[in-house]
Amino acid sequence: MGEAIVVTSGKGGVGKTTSSANIGTALALMGKKVCMVDTDIGLRNLDVVMGLENRILFDIVDVATGQARLEQAMIKDKRFDHLFLLPAAQTKDKLALSVDAMHKIVRLLKPQFDFVLIDCPAGIEHGFRVAVSAADQAIVVTTPEQAAVRDADRVIGLLEKEQIPSPKLVINRIRPSMVRSGDMLDIDDIVGILSLDLLGIVPDDEHVIKAANQGEPTVLRPDSRASIAYRNIARRILGEPVPLMNLDEEAGFFRKMWKRIGLG
Amino acid sequence: MGKVARLARERSAPGQLVTIRGIRNGLLFVLAEDATIAELIDELERLLQGSEREGVGETAGVTAYVDPGARRLTDDECDLLRGILTGKGNLVVKGFAGPPAALEESVKQPYIYKGTVRSGQVIEHDGDVVVVGDVNAGGRVIAAGDVVVMGHLRGFAQAGAAGDAAAVVAAVYFEPLQVSIGDVTRRAPERPSRGAEMEFAYLEGADMAVERMAMLGQHRARSAARRARHSPGER
Repeated sequence: MGEAIVVTSGKGGVGKTTSSANIGTALALMGKKVCMVDTDIGLRNLDVVMGLENRILFDIVDVATGQARLEQAMIKDKRFDHLFLLPAAQTKDKLALSVDAMHKIVRLLKPQFDFVLIDCPAGIEHGFRVAVSAADQAIVVTTPEQAAVRDADRVIGLLEKEQIPSPKLVINRIRPSMVRSGDMLDIDDIVGILSLDLLGIVPDDEHVIKAANQGEPTVLRPDSRASIAYRNIARRILGEPVPLMNLDEEAGFFRKMWKRIGLG
Repeated sequence: MGKVARLARERSAPGQLVTIRGIRNGLLFVLAEDATIAELIDELERLLQGSEREGVGETAGVTAYVDPGARRLTDDECDLLRGILTGKGNLVVKGFAGPPAALEESVKQPYIYKGTVRSGQVIEHDGDVVVVGDVNAGGRVIAAGDVVVMGHLRGFAQAGAAGDAAAVVAAVYFEPLQVSIGDVTRRAPERPSRGAEMEFAYLEGADMAVERMAMLGQHRARSAARRARHSPGER
């Protein structure tokens, strides 16, 4: 039986979809069977980032309303045979996907996959509740900005209410030079405020933008720092104790943090 | 108060004619409704005997309230009871109509919240509130009594919400957005908080580990998840 993990953040534009695509691809790269589910009805992106836009015939709302079978809507990735995407609907109404329908879909997916990765829409309304309702675990993505951390805090509170045990934190788009100069919140501050286990830190990396535009997840490039960061996150999800990437910060902090890492 | 509470504990049992309860600043003598006044006098004499023997008496000067239940006490009966309570127990009898309402209310149990109060969450209680963890910006703690935060107070705290101007807001790291006491609301002083880190110890297998106080909620969730995984027959 696979595990359903929701990737969420509250605030938009912090890298939920990019993180979903890269973590999903990294898990597939390590031989796991993965299905990514895009629940951002009306604003679907995951297919674009994965470069699978032109293969969509049916979407998750078609499955929910019985107009298509699950197997018809699932798209196989170009690169991996065991990586699939269930795309969001682009034209339908937000409310077309209900909590019940989401439960049913995830229940069907879990026995077939090691991981069901649910990409959550921004906000904390209907779409959020639907995406979170069927998840066993949660990954909260934030960036080193006050507003993003505040929204992440709110979302963590809502996840706790949904009985999702101890969500894990990914801090995205860190610029070591700005952290050093004190212009950006540092990792210690963010973990201190959110009081969550850190699953990984991802440095700001131009490759991510380039790759997303080409429909190739960054994680497939062996040379980029973000790619290594996402691979490390995937390894930690699989239970490997991988130390945090050194962003030229003081080593002491990282030694302190990485003992707490992993979805264990 | 300690010895009074002890007296109340030691000398009361269910089914007794007179039950002694410790309240905020004194003792409450609850009289059984089906007992005659003579039986009650005897019982009180027996209960207070010890106090007399112990010299000055452990109850000397303590305020006493009598709760007669549904019965009506005549003036004579009140005098009789007062005579025994002051004579044998050295008590100061304040009233024969049960505990004062305000006193009863002020002994509400404190509410202890273990975990982080996150943005959008509200903890409300009509007594003292103790948060074992952080109160983050956007989180609110509202108490009729005191607010004590065993961690960072970054959000909003309101003590004495029902009007008690003597209530306080306390935190290990005092860095709130706003604080209210009674009907006065202020922004927090803009100075770095000089807090001291609180830590907790727990068992990790056979080893002991130490973590920041704010991680207590995470730690609890983690151990609960581990227990659920190891217990057979689930899923």
